[in-house]
This record gives sequence, structure tokens and C-alpha cells, in this order.
Amino acid sequence: MADCPHTIGVEFGTRIIEVSGQKIKLQIWDTAGQERFRAVTRSYYRGAAGALMVYDITRRSTYNHLSSWLTDTRNLTNPSTVIFLIGNKCDLDAQRDVTYEEAKQFADENGLMFVEASAKTGENVEEAFLETAKKIYQSIQDGRLDLNAAESGVQHKPSQPGRNTLMNDQQANKDSCAC
Amino acid sequence: MQGWVRTSRVLALAEHDNNHALFVFMSSRMPPQLFSDLSIERVLPVDADFRCEIDTDSKHQDEIDVFVNISSRKLKLLFEMVPGIKTSNFVGEIFRAIEVFTKRRGPPPEFEWLHKYASGVGGQRNSGNSLSGMDNPTSDTLESGVEGLTGQDESLTDALLGSPEISVPRQSIAKGATPIAARESVIKYQMAMKEQHYTYTQVLRVYVGTWNVNGQPPTIGLSEWLAQDPEPPDIYAIGFQELDLSKEAFLFNDSPREEEWQEAVLNGLHKKARYHKVALVRLVGMMLLVFVQEQHAAYVRAVATETVGTGIMGKMGNKGGVGVRFDLHSTSLCFVNSHLAAHVEEYERRNQDYHDICSRMSFTRFLPPKGIKDHDQVYWLGDLNYRITDLDPWRVKDCIDSGNYLPLLTYDQLHQQHGLKNVFAGYQEGSITFRPTYKYDPGTDSWDSSEKNRAPAWCDRILWKGDGITQVAYRSHPELRISDHKPVSSLFDSQIRVIDAAKYRKIHEEVMKKLDKLENEFLPQVMVDNTEVIFDTIHYLESQTRDLIIANTGQVPVTFEFIKKLDDSSYCKDWLNIEPYSGFIMPGNKCDIKLEVFVDKKSACKLNSGEDKLYDILVLHLEGGKDIFITVTGTYERSCFGSSIEALVFISVPVREIPVGKLMELENAKEVTSTQDPYPIPKEIWFLVDHLYRHGLKQPHLFEQPGLNSELLQIRNWLDNGSPDPLPGSIHSVAEALLLLLESTAEPVIPYNLHSICLGAASNYLQCKQIVMQLPEHRKNVFLYLCAFLQEVLCHMSDNGLDTKTIEAMTRTEMYFIKYVVQCVLSISGLNEEQHVVLFAVPVV
Repeated sequence: MADCPHTIGVEFGTRIIEVSGQKIKLQIWDTAGQERFRAVTRSYYRGAAGALMVYDITRRSTYNHLSSWLTDTRNLTNPSTVIFLIGNKCDLDAQRDVTYEEAKQFADENGLMFVEASAKTGENVEEAFLETAKKIYQSIQDGRLDLNAAESGVQHKPSQPGRNTLMNDQQANKDSCAC
Repeated sequence: MQGWVRTSRVLALAEHDNNHALFVFMSSRMPPQLFSDLSIERVLPVDADFRCEIDTDSKHQDEIDVFVNISSRKLKLLFEMVPGIKTSNFVGEIFRAIEVFTKRRGPPPEFEWLHKYASGVGGQRNSGNSLSGMDNPTSDTLESGVEGLTGQDESLTDALLGSPEISVPRQSIAKGATPIAARESVIKYQMAMKEQHYTYTQVLRVYVGTWNVNGQPPTIGLSEWLAQDPEPPDIYAIGFQELDLSKEAFLFNDSPREEEWQEAVLNGLHKKARYHKVALVRLVGMMLLVFVQEQHAAYVRAVATETVGTGIMGKMGNKGGVGVRFDLHSTSLCFVNSHLAAHVEEYERRNQDYHDICSRMSFTRFLPPKGIKDHDQVYWLGDLNYRITDLDPWRVKDCIDSGNYLPLLTYDQLHQQHGLKNVFAGYQEGSITFRPTYKYDPGTDSWDSSEKNRAPAWCDRILWKGDGITQVAYRSHPELRISDHKPVSSLFDSQIRVIDAAKYRKIHEEVMKKLDKLENEFLPQVMVDNTEVIFDTIHYLESQTRDLIIANTGQVPVTFEFIKKLDDSSYCKDWLNIEPYSGFIMPGNKCDIKLEVFVDKKSACKLNSGEDKLYDILVLHLEGGKDIFITVTGTYERSCFGSSIEALVFISVPVREIPVGKLMELENAKEVTSTQDPYPIPKEIWFLVDHLYRHGLKQPHLFEQPGLNSELLQIRNWLDNGSPDPLPGSIHSVAEALLLLLESTAEPVIPYNLHSICLGAASNYLQCKQIVMQLPEHRKNVFLYLCAFLQEVLCHMSDNGLDTKTIEAMTRTEMYFIKYVVQCVLSISGLNEEQHVVLFAVPVV
């Protein structure tokens, strides 16, 4: 963690991703993971269409916190919010403290999507965002996510024919650094 | 901005002698004020290589930026223009200038009038010395503040300076507010710039054939013409003239011959490959057929055909041209089959037909329409009808018979006119090594034996324009004898840019990412010098400040504000003050924020009781951007101020001598169960009252004159820490300390729940007295003690000047609660019953 500063606050960024020919603009909120900020970061969950929970595979303590993060996420978002579990630092396999199987099982039991990724090498980072966007898009297609609901976290930009623009609040609850 | 960065430019369209040029200026300020602000970056002549396209994606959409692609030879520029009437006028003028060029007659202009500007920038193609970025198209992204004007170049200055102010919504993309369509234009442009990185060259064999069939039906096979090469061509473009000389064809453009000849062509194509028809276009007797091998068919896009009649009345289809254009992979191709005016002496008419076809052939399915010149490769074929002049037909035939074509070619009108650039400027033709293709007696290889005895001529020609085209063969096919013309064909090895799908995706992704990155770089960014603000020990009524510096380290102006957290009523705790709590910072600038902690009577009790701590997380929100958490911490030094009467009576030592948790425990205890006997009243009240009683009764303006803040702090320390020394400070300070102590108790001496009863009882002395007697024990003690003290004070009215009226007057000031208490006391003391029971009604804290 020494090489990368903690998030003090909520970082904000955007990405435009193409899913099934549709351009989806992701608004990504990367919230501070420190316990002391927890009460404050709760206010950012509302209206998120997706959440990425990131732990550090080399530090078990970050993994152990997941269930309470998950509780918060479930309580504060709507049922259709896509939750993605991400084991960061998969480039440091030698220092691994949490097995893939264990995390996978946790994800399966809780109905989360799961992938191991590395913010350092970029492995699976793109995929994680893409998969999240796809899942959100699917939810819209299936009608599970109501675009008209104020807290769906998704906006449709109708001004451009043939082009769906989706706004999407994403939360990355990090116990570790995801850049 | 260059490359990925945007910069502002001023565009001007200048006219000189009916020729136009686009000037691109850099300006030292925007909008430019003086001519000296401007320097010419580049000058683009509006010539055959000048192209202008409005991004079709963003066309017809209001409120978003207009993207205009301008290219000249290898140079590609993208201008983002503010939508509106000015932009559309300016772009309209550019198109008009292009049209003027296209409709122009005679050899192409040299644009000599531009040379002086070109040398001025030192980097035009006319000078060897290249302006940076000139030969490097990737650095040529431009965003422009655009103003259009036309006029003589000399009048440029005034017109420019007269242009109204232009605002460039440069933040629109940055803020993500620009619709994706606009962003697509940028992506398209960037992809065009990077074309060489994701395309490779594939050389395709292009077969171009032309034949004036003199109205004959296809009674013979065509493979001797179309398929005489060992390998099959990738692309066929086959043109016919005089396909049908019937009136029906001329008047109704309806001909059974179309089908017959198409059938003949299909049968005559090379047998070693399968072909896919790209297009067939016919105007009266002119027909053009384009085929590609089936393997290429999937990569053919944007096929369009067009016809131009230049015959009778200048419009009819007996003469003119037909064209087919399409994109193959990443290369645009255009084939034109024309039949120009006949007769030996009519070469000028032929030149004009050429120009008419050039200017009128417009593929209107594109916006703006594409002309012939707007293609990477153009192949022009047909019966161009140019003759051999000034030579006796017999001499011509002699030369031909001896195979000596060279002297003849100097008399060939097309060679002459082409050399003069009167026609086919920019086109090439291969050297002619075949006999003239006109005019033969049909069915033979013999020259025309009619009375007219026409001189032989190379009427049927094939020319080309564009990069990467190599002619492999140029020949005639005398074996086909049904017409008075012989067919001609040419083979080309043409370089087609093929998109490598994987590389394209990769680069496209990179461009998208880069744009994302840019957009994110344009998000508001600040540096806060300290996100963990730690205060020293905070004492009651003693303010402390810390400075925070917010520096705008981003590229856009920042509007910041400290915002409320979920469920909070304010953006910070009441013991904290943030000044300013919102603001606006320009890039590169800073804003100093002052954080002041001040614990007063409002916040002290909560801090003493542990209900609140000197700890807060501030949320610094950047509008349209991120939030930064700033933690504020400090330690509050507990004090008798802000403690409750009930807690204080149980503390026999100075407040700071008891353990940290003890005070909280006492404050929170509902029923105090202490072994220790409590004091009747808090000792701190006693200290202060006793001091006043002993030293202050005769003090003039007692309770009226405020104390000194520094002395108040000393008194506070004396009370909280305990000291063998006498109570410090003046009488007035001690008096104020007493008022403050009473004001800051967690609850007033008369508890809140009794206030309404007090109001009801305000006019009744006995009821008031009853209420006082029903107060909790320690409060009653305090009340009566204060009452007795005030009686003493009033006994010395003549000295201290305090009277009931003063007290009444003081109730209207901000010193509220203690006065209320004091007045209650006075009223109960019976000095002036009628007057003072009213005071029960005085508003409380």
C-alpha cells in the first residue's frame, strides 16, 4: 500500500464502454475504504447501478471485512444493483492470503460476480468494468432495472437517436488500492 | 490545443481573382483584438485536393458542436465549431468556394498569390523548411474559434477584427456534457489519423475496360477482351458507349441492350474467379459495370452511382458520363465512364464535357455530397473522342503501319490538352503502344473505308488519379470486330488500405481510453494541503484556527463546497466554523480556508457529557467531480462551564482533577448514586457569588459592564484547575463569568419542562413561589441562593447602580437566560411583585 495513496474521500471518474453496440457511460465513484469514513461513504451508495467490492488477496483482513461491506451495499442500494467482487493484486500470487476458491465460494453463496484482477498489470480490470456494464445493460433489457425510477442510477439520453447513453453510478468500495 | 489538446484557431476564407484559400490563424488571445494577435499557421488553397466534410453524425442536431473535417493532400484537420448561423454561413462559403473551383474552366490555378503567405509561415509545402506538425498530421487536431468571412485578401484584417466575440465551449467535452455524437467525431478523426497503424496495404488487380460498341448487340463472346490474362482481376470496371443508338434509349433511357450486354459481360469475365456485381449504371448508351471477386464483396461499402448528361442542350444523355463509387476496405474508389463530344475540331467541347462531368457528378447520398475528386483512387475510362489533328489521314496510317506511334501522339488532342492542363489535370495515362481504336469498318481490322475517310484516332482511353496505382497493361483488343471501335483495357496493381480488424479494435479502444483519460483530466482537481486537521487542546470559549489550502491543480475552474453528510443538518458541527465554506478557484489558483473551533455554551454541554466529540469528517465537494474527506479532531478540555448543576454538586475537587470518564458518568446518570454527599449548590457558583458578595456589591455598573475575555479565561482556569491564589479578574469579569456559567449549564435552572407552567403562573406570585419550591433540590438551592444574592445586590443599588429596571432592560439584550433567572428571583423576592412576575414570560434559550 506504500506505493499508492489511500483514497481520502470519493474519487470520481468516467468511462465510456460499448455493450452490444450501445455506448454506456459509467460514472465511477471510488469511495474511501477506511473504517472511519464508513458512515460518510454510506451516503454514496444510493442510486448506484453497480458496486465493485475490492479486497486485497494478499491481506486476509481486507477479505474478512467483505461481509459487512456487503451488508451495507445490500441495505443501501436497490435489489437490482449489480455487485461485483474483485480480488485485487492477483499479480502477487506468491503472497496470496485468500484462495481463489474461497472467495469464489463466498461470491457464489451471495450471488456476486467474481474475478481476480490486478490494478498494477491491468489484468481483468477492463473486463470487470465491462462485465458490470453488461450486467447493468441486461438488467435494463430484462426490465429489472427501471430507467424511470429516480434511484435506478441509470439515465437514458434520448436526444440521440439510435444511441443509448447510460449514466451509471458505480461504487468501488476499496479496502485496497485499485487505481 | 494540438494533438489531443484543443486550441483555438481563427479561420478565414480569402478570395483572390475568383480563387479561394482557407487561412488558419493562431491567435495570441481569443477572441483576437488586433491584427498583431494573429499569426498564420497554414494556408490551404481551395484546389482539387481540398476537401471539406461536415461530420454527418452531428448534422441536424442542435445545441452541439459542429465538427468540420478539412483535408488537403495528406493534411487532415478537424475543426470544432460553435453551432449557429455564423458557422453555417462560413461552412456554406467554403462549399461555395469548392464549387467555384470545380466549375472553373481552364488549367488549374497556381495560387501564386498565396506564396507570400506561405513563406511567412516558413512551413508551407512551397518552402523546404517544414513547420512543426506540418508533415505530421497527428499533431494537427484543431479546435477553433471560428469566424467566417470572405473578401479580398487585402481586406482580411478589417473583416477579421470586426468579427464578434466567439466563445468556445471548450469545457463541454471535458465535463462530459458533450453528447457522444460529438465525441464520435473526435474518435473518427483520431482513427483517420492513425489509419496507417491499423491498416495494411493489399495490392489488388484492377481491370478497366472501355468499348464503344456502336449500337451493336453482343453477338460475340467477350472473354478475349475481358479474360485474356492468366490471372483473374480482383475488380472489373467495364464501360460501354453507344450501347443503344435507338430513339427509345435516348428519350426514355430504356434499353433491352443493357440486359444483353450485362449477360455478355458476365459470361466473359475471368473463369478462374467468381464475381459479385457492385453496381451497374447506365445513361442512354453509356453503361458502367463494376464487379469484385466474391471474396472482397463483404468489404465493399457505400456504393453509389451517378449520371451526368452533357449532350444535346448540354443536358441530354447522348453524351456525358456515368460513375460508380464505393469504399473497398479503407480505400475509396471512383470509376467514371464517359462519352465526350464528337468531331475532330470539337476538342474544347470535349474539355468542357469533362469539366461538366467533374462538377456535376455528385454522389448525393453523402452529406455533403462527394464529388469525383473526393476519392482516393479515380479511374476514368471511355470514348473521350480526342482525335489526331493536323495530319493527313494517309500519313497517320503510314505511321501506324510502321508501328511508329510517337510522332502521332504529339498530334493527339488529349495529349496536347492534357499537357496544357486544360483537361484531366492530375490524372495520368500510360503510354500508348496499341493502334488507334477508331475508326474501323465493322467486322474487320481495316480502317474506315467510308466516304468520310476519317483519320484513325485513339478515341478510347483510360486514365487514373490517386496514390498507389501502378499500370500493368494498357492495350486494345482488335479481335473484337463488331464495332467501328476496338475495345481497350488496362490492368492496374492498386494498393488498397485494408483494415486489420484486431489492430483496429485495439487502436479504437486506445482512442476511447485516451478520450476517457482526457475527459477525466478535465474533471475538477484540487490538492488540499491537509486532510487531517488536528487542533490542540480546546478550552471553553477559547477559539483556535487552522488554515487549509485548497489549490486548483486541474485544468478547469473548480467550484467547491463543504456539503452535508447524509442525515446531518449542517455541513459541520456547531463548534466548528468554516470560512469560506464554498467558493470558486481558477486553475493554478488557491483558496485559503479558515477552520475555527470555538466551544461556547451551545456546544460545551454535549462535549462534557460525551454526547459529542471534537471530531468531524468534512466533505469537500467539487462540483462535477470528486469529494474529499477532511477529518477534524481536537481534545476538549472539560470544564465546569457546560456542565449540569446536578453533576457539579457531586464534584468536590476542581473539574479537571476528576478522571475523564467521571464527568461523563455524572452527566449521564439519571439517578445519582454516590456515596459522597453532594454540595447544596455547585461550588463554582458559590466561588463566584461569594467573591461578588464580598468584593463587588458596591461596584458601579455591576452586571452591566462586560468583563474582559482574557480574565474570563483566567477565571475559567481557576475554577477548573483549582488554585490557592485568589480568584483572578475584575469584578465585572467575575460577574460575567457567573452569568456564563449559569447560561452554559446543560439545562436552565428552571428546567425546560416547567417553562410553560411558568408562563401560566407569571402573573401570580404565589404560583411562582410554588414552582420554585417544586424545583429539583439542587436547582432550588441555586435559585434561592442567587435570589438571596441579588437581594443583597439590590440593597446596594445606590452604589452598584443595578435596579430592577436595569435588569428588565437587560432582558431585551442578548444576555438572556441568566436575566430570566435573575428576574424570577427578583420577582419572588417580592420587591416589586406586579412588575416582576411578568418576567417569567421572557423568552428562554
